[in-house]
Amino acid sequence: MRTKQPMHKRFQRGLVKRIKNTGLFIKRLWSHKQGKVGLILVSFLILVAIFAPIIAPYNPYDVSERTTKGLAPSAKHLLGTTINTGQDIFSMLVYGTRVSLIVGVTSGVCIAFVGSVFGVMAGYLGGFVDTLIMRIVDIMLVIPTLPLVIVLTNVLGRDFWIIILIFVALGWTGLARTIRSLVLVLKNSNYVKAAELAGASRWHVMIRHILPGTSHLVIMSTALSSAGIMVAEAGLSFLGLGDPTAISWGKMLADAQSGGALLFGAWWWILAPGIGIFLAVFSFMRLGIVMEEIANPRMKQTSSVYKIFKSLDGSYIEDVFNSMDDDQKLGIPETARQGGKTHGTHLEA
Amino acid sequence: MKYTYVIKRILYSLFVFAVVITLNFFIPRIGVDDPAERYYPPQGNMSEIEYEIIKQVTRQQYGFHVSTGQQYMNYLKGLFQGDLGTSFRPGSPAVIDLILERLPWTLVLSVSTMLIGVTIGILFGVLAAVKRGRWQDTMLLNASTIMVALPAFFIALILSFYLGFELEIFPAYTDSTMVSGFTWTWEGIRRVAQNAALPVLSMVVGSIISYAQGTRNAVIAVTNEDFVLTARAKGLKQSTIRYKHILRNSMLPIVTSLGMSISGLIGGQVVIEQVFNWNGMGTLFLEANNSNDYPLMMGIMLLLSGFTIFAILVTDLVYVLLDPRVTVGDKR
Repeated sequence: MRTKQPMHKRFQRGLVKRIKNTGLFIKRLWSHKQGKVGLILVSFLILVAIFAPIIAPYNPYDVSERTTKGLAPSAKHLLGTTINTGQDIFSMLVYGTRVSLIVGVTSGVCIAFVGSVFGVMAGYLGGFVDTLIMRIVDIMLVIPTLPLVIVLTNVLGRDFWIIILIFVALGWTGLARTIRSLVLVLKNSNYVKAAELAGASRWHVMIRHILPGTSHLVIMSTALSSAGIMVAEAGLSFLGLGDPTAISWGKMLADAQSGGALLFGAWWWILAPGIGIFLAVFSFMRLGIVMEEIANPRMKQTSSVYKIFKSLDGSYIEDVFNSMDDDQKLGIPETARQGGKTHGTHLEA
Repeated sequence: MKYTYVIKRILYSLFVFAVVITLNFFIPRIGVDDPAERYYPPQGNMSEIEYEIIKQVTRQQYGFHVSTGQQYMNYLKGLFQGDLGTSFRPGSPAVIDLILERLPWTLVLSVSTMLIGVTIGILFGVLAAVKRGRWQDTMLLNASTIMVALPAFFIALILSFYLGFELEIFPAYTDSTMVSGFTWTWEGIRRVAQNAALPVLSMVVGSIISYAQGTRNAVIAVTNEDFVLTARAKGLKQSTIRYKHILRNSMLPIVTSLGMSISGLIGGQVVIEQVFNWNGMGTLFLEANNSNDYPLMMGIMLLLSGFTIFAILVTDLVYVLLDPRVTVGDKR
């Protein structure tokens, strides 16, 4: 056993290591073709969100900066103005990035945290905790999500943070289930058994041995659920049920529809927010997929890409995940398995 | 052995349903002491005494004058008799009647979306799986990435703009006389089809791709199974293996997932119905939300959840009947 170094020194070393690792990670993302696309797009969106007041020529929140209604795109108004209020559409588009990114990323990170904590607890502790968490997951699975979100916003209010809270409260279940089934495999692996035999406490094993083993799923899910929440938020705002004070892409689309963009042929008013949503979701998804590939290089490239699609609430990931065998769950490529290696981690399906 | 499992599954479904019912009862009561306040929020120009009288009437009308426990019992009693409550609308219509009136119109959209999506999706999925790694496969992958990032309501807006307003091929909004003037004639059915074209079209693209992706994965998973290898080793024809061994076995998960997906489809259809002003359950739900009509909202939620529970139960039981490998005590 190593002698313990003083606390601050260990902390310092850990921090340096972490920063170095992060740098390495970004470097590897950069050298990946798809990763580069995702990285550039995501940083672009983040920059736009931060510097929105500088980039946007007008402040769409400011009532005094409204002009003639229904202008077509021109040099002064890049994407024209809205038909009902006379706001500059380009500025609205730029400011809308803020809402989308904040709601998406905050919810994504929180979902990853809650989902992995519950998933690891359910999988590793088993027993009553497992039953309780999985029962909750089962129940949330059968209630239709969008209607439930609508009811909850009606009851709890439509404030920005409440909407994020609702998304997190409803979004963690898919990830928790997926992580639980991975933990069930990890739990029986030799290194975890060794740690247990060496007398490690349950919390130590969970945090130091199990959680790192699930990191590739957690990383991927952060990016993917961010993307999913962005779509959901756009849908909610489109129905007019988002934060009423915020300018978001979904709300722009709703305004475009109710303001007669379809009737007057103002296609730029519809296309602009739509492309905004598409870009944000697409780039976060790209990034998520590539990050998982890098975090888990043993995973076969194609399988890791394919298991993600369809629905972003995680249920589909889980279906595919459950259909994999134990070696695949751990990310051991087919070639190694055909080589006759046995890993001795057999569980009930 | 199998019967114990079946009974266990049914009991578990009932338990989940009971929890959902309880949630349904309590969600509108979050954060208020008196449900009457929720059902009838104070209006600006109302004096205190006036509001008190209105609350009193509301309590009497909706049975809030008894204790919460008693209200819950009454709610359960009503559910057993098929009574989902009374809507807050003028004339106090029964929730179940309002829902049943709209349900067929919603099903027109979701069932046709599902049928078209499944048929074309399975074809594409099998194609992609057979041509694994070739351009057909890559194209499906790229299409999936793009479709997930494009919200259905955006597609709906674009379609309504281009095909509805510009080219005027299909009606951009649902004709209001479609419902009231509906008759079981060719003319009536043709009009429904015409009005449903754009909503279905905007949902079907995503539906096709998700079923294709699901089929592709299922087919590939079966291809990697041992019995396929055995069949190859026996020297069977490639086409025999493909159609008799692989396809047949990979269809089971797809077909059983249909039941579950329809309820999700209805839930997600809310936005599409709103775009085209379609006279279905989605718009009913939004109308209920806008007028704080909680009995109606919770009634729709309960119906959808109940349907999902039922679909999952049937799926599980069908699996037990069809697949001898599903063992007793297997947890879902």
